[in-house]
Amino acid sequence: MSFHEKSAWIMSVALAMASVFYLRLVAAASAGLGELAPPILPAIIKFTVAMVILAIVGHVIVAIFAPKEADAPLDEREQQIMTRAGNIAGYVLGAGVITSLGIYLFTYDGHLLFYGVFAGLIVSQLAEYLVQILLYRTSW
Amino acid sequence: MARRPPITNRVRELREQHGNMTQAQLADAIGVTRQTVIAIEQGRYSPSLESAFRIARIFNVGIEDVFGWKG
Repeated sequence: MSFHEKSAWIMSVALAMASVFYLRLVAAASAGLGELAPPILPAIIKFTVAMVILAIVGHVIVAIFAPKEADAPLDEREQQIMTRAGNIAGYVLGAGVITSLGIYLFTYDGHLLFYGVFAGLIVSQLAEYLVQILLYRTSW
Repeated sequence: MARRPPITNRVRELREQHGNMTQAQLADAIGVTRQTVIAIEQGRYSPSLESAFRIARIFNVGIEDVFGWKG
């Protein structure tokens, strides 16, 4: 497994864990209010810091075991994999944003719009990592 | 999922003929990862023209002695 494939695994796990953490923060705040809690900056910062820490720790551990691979640039096949995964992720993000905007037109709920777009961003990024892994393992 | 390219190759055979060159050695020589060499040998990935020429030059053969069109 190349370093960049390992990186995709690390980032997908880190993003998934940080997203669950964020979801629990929002769920707890919403339960206290009795309605969907407004998005707040501290929760976003906690989410970002959690993800960055997980990603750094994961990459450092992998780099310790394979320092030569960690410095290797993407080769031609990996560049194609990244391009294709990024392309698919773009469609997922677009679908998330359009869906969120559509929901807003029916609900006029700005908080829901924020969460919808934010979820679209997370899902698209997760999709990018998962497509990378899929292409690394099965084709190209 | 990408379809399998209709290109055959003799990379594994040529590696074995050249002193059992390892996949890692070939990968280093042409500037790709070992996983890409594995993908090429398994017919899951068609290398760029530049990499195809590099592979042929390493084995001192023509590009058509390494790669062929299926069918």
